[in-house]
Amino acid sequence: MTEIVRLDGVGHLFAGRGGIAPSRALHPLSFSLHESRSLALVGESGSGKTTLLRLILGLEEPTEGTVSLFGADPAAPGEEALRARRRCGYVPQDPFGGLPPTLSVLDAAAEPLLLPGSDIDGALARRQARELLRLCLLEESLWAARAGMSLSGGQRQRVCLARALVTDPDLLLADEPTSMQDSQTRRRLVELLQARSARGKTLLFVTHDLVLARAVTERAVVLLRGRIVEEGPTEDLLSRAIHPYTRALAAALPRLGQPLAAPPPALGPAPPGSCPFVDRCPHRMPACASAPPLRSVAEGRRAACWQEAPQKPTG
Amino acid sequence: MIAVEGLRLDYRTGIRRVRALDGVDLVLRRAATTAIVGESGSGKSSLVTALLRLLPPGASLSGKITVEGRNIMSLSEKELSASYRWTTVSLVLQGAMNAFTPVLTLGRQIAEVLEVHRRLSRTEAMGKAAALLEETGLPRSWTARYPHELSGGQKQRAAIAMALACDPLYLLADEPTTALDVITQAEIVTLLKGLTRWRGLGLVLVTHDLALASAVADRLVVLQAGRVVDEGPTERLLDAPGHGHTTSLLEALKTLEASDHD
Ligand SMILES: Nc1ncnc2c1ncn2[C@@H]1O[C@H](COP(=O)(O)OP(=O)(O)OP(=O)(O)O)[C@@H](O)[C@H]1O
Ligand code: SF4
Ligand SMILES: [Mg+2]
Repeated sequence: MTEIVRLDGVGHLFAGRGGIAPSRALHPLSFSLHESRSLALVGESGSGKTTLLRLILGLEEPTEGTVSLFGADPAAPGEEALRARRRCGYVPQDPFGGLPPTLSVLDAAAEPLLLPGSDIDGALARRQARELLRLCLLEESLWAARAGMSLSGGQRQRVCLARALVTDPDLLLADEPTSMQDSQTRRRLVELLQARSARGKTLLFVTHDLVLARAVTERAVVLLRGRIVEEGPTEDLLSRAIHPYTRALAAALPRLGQPLAAPPPALGPAPPGSCPFVDRCPHRMPACASAPPLRSVAEGRRAACWQEAPQKPTG
Repeated sequence: MIAVEGLRLDYRTGIRRVRALDGVDLVLRRAATTAIVGESGSGKSSLVTALLRLLPPGASLSGKITVEGRNIMSLSEKELSASYRWTTVSLVLQGAMNAFTPVLTLGRQIAEVLEVHRRLSRTEAMGKAAALLEETGLPRSWTARYPHELSGGQKQRAAIAMALACDPLYLLADEPTTALDVITQAEIVTLLKGLTRWRGLGLVLVTHDLALASAVADRLVVLQAGRVVDEGPTERLLDAPGHGHTTSLLEALKTLEASDHD
């Protein structure tokens, strides 16, 4: 099957400025995403998820390794990269910054269809935009409003999703696209994404919510401080995680009517080069002073933890 | 006690008029944690900003807001600033929206709130700022740090410190953990709960996340299209919702919790 996204040893350092040391956003990592498949990037804020998306879209060039998007280097100048990028839809994480402030909701949703070089006329673009706005549950009474102002947080986020979907992209890269939605709206948006997958479209979904990830993706990669700590079928990461960090992520999810579980306390800063979870890990041992490699632990599953016998998968 | 009666809020932009609050009646008690939940666009953020009378130009507000027996609707902008915002009721917003200026240290920004609203001297205010950071779990020396040097969770702690600076009686928090991951969310919510209980203040948490609301609030208020459609102790609302809309929100959440990609 065609590889849509492929990362080979991709690492990224943000340059330091004015006496500030450069900071490492990603340690070299590799994974790929095939056509018609869905993958979640799961992890805490600052773990490198957004940087990964930006590298895949060519908005940033990796300091190590190679990125390929539809077979092209997305950051390279030229037609090939442009064509690859145009096959993508992107929902940025911050809906407050992501919208053109002066356009109406309808025009903001139609805009991606009307980029230079497109052969779609304005009327058709607006017809498609209306359809997408309806699918993203934005009522008609909002269409004339300025998208970048006068909308609630959740409404803005849905306009961003409509913009990303209006071109019916082959690959959707969505950064926490439902983080501001109530349960009902979220369920309908999840159905929208599921229907897309059923049509053979590819999805890269960023979230810190494993339950949500399970609803929309087959596989997931768990990131912590710029390293992959676990990878496998999303269902397995939720119900029988191997890495202590993945287990902590699942345990911290609020569940209806249940008290919030106390998160693992931080035991002190993680020294550079150590396991990225060493400061909060209840199982830490001397070996954890160096970062464990990502190893294959079972069919289709990888984990990076020194624990000799990682908790046996149950059930 | 915060008592709200017949609160109406209209936004006007150009020729468009939106009724964001359509006759809200509500009582918020100091001894409780109340969560305000509801659909996206139902008026949750509007209600919180209306309670502080912080509205964009062109918005019109009517109805009654009484806080500890005081009529808030009749206060002038000057009175609101001198003896209501920060000192009686204060606000924590979603991470990215919190108004920390990038160019000033955390200490300066917290101290300024104290100088303006509590008339403390600069030295006193800086001392109190350090104590507030410590109370929210940050080192005292971080008064010298700039906002961009903090992670999302740390920034939210600092925002809470600033909101508590003038010892308000009520803390309103609008989606305070939306931009955070679940582990940091649990830390911040636990901190908010602990601090408000310790200081004896009322906590009003606005959230789209019914599961989170059910885990931390004693009482739930459900908004729909600018009206309170359901309200009561958390357990009762979960077991026996008083309105079809609450039932729909609960059902959707259960479906999501059970749903599997296939
Ligand atoms: N500044 C504004 N100008 C015009 N209309 C506005 C403005 N802010 C909000 N609205 C409208 O008022 C209604 C209520 O919005 P509000 O932000 O209070 O909802 P919310 O419940 O907080 O939603 P969310 O969960 O999406 O944050 C929405 O229909 C919104 O479009
Ligand atoms: S390597 Fe050590 S510190 Fe890291 S997760 Fe495994 S046991 Fe915990
Ligand atoms: Mg809101």
